[in-house]
Amino acid sequence: MNAVASLLEYPSSYIEKLGNIHRILPWIMAFVVLLPLPHILETTLNEYYVYLANRICIFIMLCVGLNIVKGFCGQVTVGHVGLYAIGAVTSALISLHLGWSFWISLPLGVFAAGLAGVIVGLPSVRLEGAYLALATLGLGESVRIMIAVTPFFGSSTGLISIPSPAIGGFVFDTYRSYYYLVMTAALIGIYLSFSILRSATGRAFMAVREDTIAAAVHGINVTKYKLLAFVISALYAGAAGGLFAHMPPGYIHHNNFTIIEMVTLLLMVVLGGIGHIWGGVIGAIIVTIIYDQTLEFYFYQPLLFGLSMVLIVLFMPRGIGGMIDRYLVTKRFMAIQEGKSNGAS
Amino acid sequence: MALLETIGLSKSFGGLRAISNLDVDVEAGSIHGLIGPNGSGKSTFFNLVTGVYQPDPGSKIFFDGLDITKSPSHKIGALGIARTFQLLRLFSEMTVLQNLMVGYHTHVSYGFLKTIFNNSAIAKIDAQTSDEMMELLEFIGLADFASMPASELSGGQRRLLALGRAMAMRPKLLMLDEPAAGLSPVNVDRLMAIVMALKERFGLTVLIVEHILKVVMETCDTVTVLDYGQKIGEGSPSEVKDDHAVIEAYLGQEMDDDEIRAALNA
Repeated sequence: MNAVASLLEYPSSYIEKLGNIHRILPWIMAFVVLLPLPHILETTLNEYYVYLANRICIFIMLCVGLNIVKGFCGQVTVGHVGLYAIGAVTSALISLHLGWSFWISLPLGVFAAGLAGVIVGLPSVRLEGAYLALATLGLGESVRIMIAVTPFFGSSTGLISIPSPAIGGFVFDTYRSYYYLVMTAALIGIYLSFSILRSATGRAFMAVREDTIAAAVHGINVTKYKLLAFVISALYAGAAGGLFAHMPPGYIHHNNFTIIEMVTLLLMVVLGGIGHIWGGVIGAIIVTIIYDQTLEFYFYQPLLFGLSMVLIVLFMPRGIGGMIDRYLVTKRFMAIQEGKSNGAS
Repeated sequence: MALLETIGLSKSFGGLRAISNLDVDVEAGSIHGLIGPNGSGKSTFFNLVTGVYQPDPGSKIFFDGLDITKSPSHKIGALGIARTFQLLRLFSEMTVLQNLMVGYHTHVSYGFLKTIFNNSAIAKIDAQTSDEMMELLEFIGLADFASMPASELSGGQRRLLALGRAMAMRPKLLMLDEPAAGLSPVNVDRLMAIVMALKERFGLTVLIVEHILKVVMETCDTVTVLDYGQKIGEGSPSEVKDDHAVIEAYLGQEMDDDEIRAALNA
């Protein structure tokens, strides 16, 4: 742990310096650093890994969104994948049937998911924990079944040849060009989640998670913040869904929105660390890669993921992010103790 | 003028009347004690006033001239009633400073949308808030632990943090539910000194529930005694101390031999 920490110390202090000049600078730097990634992947591995990078970016958006409602606001939702589906299907249908451009259909998909987020969030006003999970599970699964049985939404064939986004003459129709789109979106998503969660809103979310009664007594409108968390996370899910639908080859099927997908998503958040923004990102990267590398054992994947979820919850409840936090807290505590003993001597 | 006034306050849980027909006036600027044996309804009274429980029909609660009987907790908090809990209910996974910042929530001047569109302004306001909160932490003596999670604090420090979090609300009325429970006598004195200092500095009114009678007798201007949800005595500490009904509630009724025999056979 110490070795890893000292390895990270130099770049992190450099990033901090950049952030002090202007808070957007580290994000621009991250953008620049990530730009050549598809080129590197294509030359060292092959194009498939660029596709994987796209998937990772989409899962990062989903994870960051889920972390807001589950990690920060403490509401156990299993309906997130339904919101993802609503974003995807709405955006796909609008561009297929109305012929509107991606830049209009995506926001509309996001909006539809946000509205659905209110509905998924409503049970949270009355229910908690496992009961809330059951209620949201029902809502999320009913979205998938609606898609599976309605020909208009794709039913068993899925929606095909969803048009690719374009700016002027430039069309995002290859994995490589699409990567720039999803990577930018993921970075913006992470950045926004930082600005939301480091404000009074984020503190209110955490207070609701820790103790609803204490939060209410300290002037926080618990219902409002619960619903707000659900809506924000739904917006993320909708955006991720829209981006997924228009990703080449422009094909969505209700199998993309199953409960297995939801478990994978939960595993990402739990592994990365509940309530830890970077944790969600790390979890998304690790789990997507593992998922992809074990595709041969398709039938055993739910077993693998379910089992690892149980093990993580038992032995590493705060995930990777929690371990990092723990390390930092211990370091800080040692510093206080040291300062005290120095002051005394 | 009474800052907090309850008229005919009642609360039943099923068949049990936890509070019945209680009239309490808390004068502005005073320290008001609330004592009584276990289960006499002190904590229920706190929960009713702060909107955690809804009182039975016919009850009235006024704060600063406003009817708050049916207001939800967060509105009551925003009006200027802060409270601590017997079991503290700290936001234990959040840092000490964040706990206080949550307490300050109702005074934060920006809404949710601004957090997305005007980041640097938010950062500035938050920095200012955090400076103010650090000052408060300095005052209660927890400044060194500002960036530690609340769960890392010791028992005494947690009690201080609960007090600080309530004070961060900039309240008019501070309600303390057994603030000194589980503290050593030295720490009890320290805590009460801090409460008194805060009262002077912010011009607070304090309503305090406490089992340590020494604390109540030394600091309170007025004491209300509850038993089985009813008021059995009220007045200055010295008056209450000599009240027959109060002594009976605390020490039990005097019985002669026949009565004891009857009670045992029953």
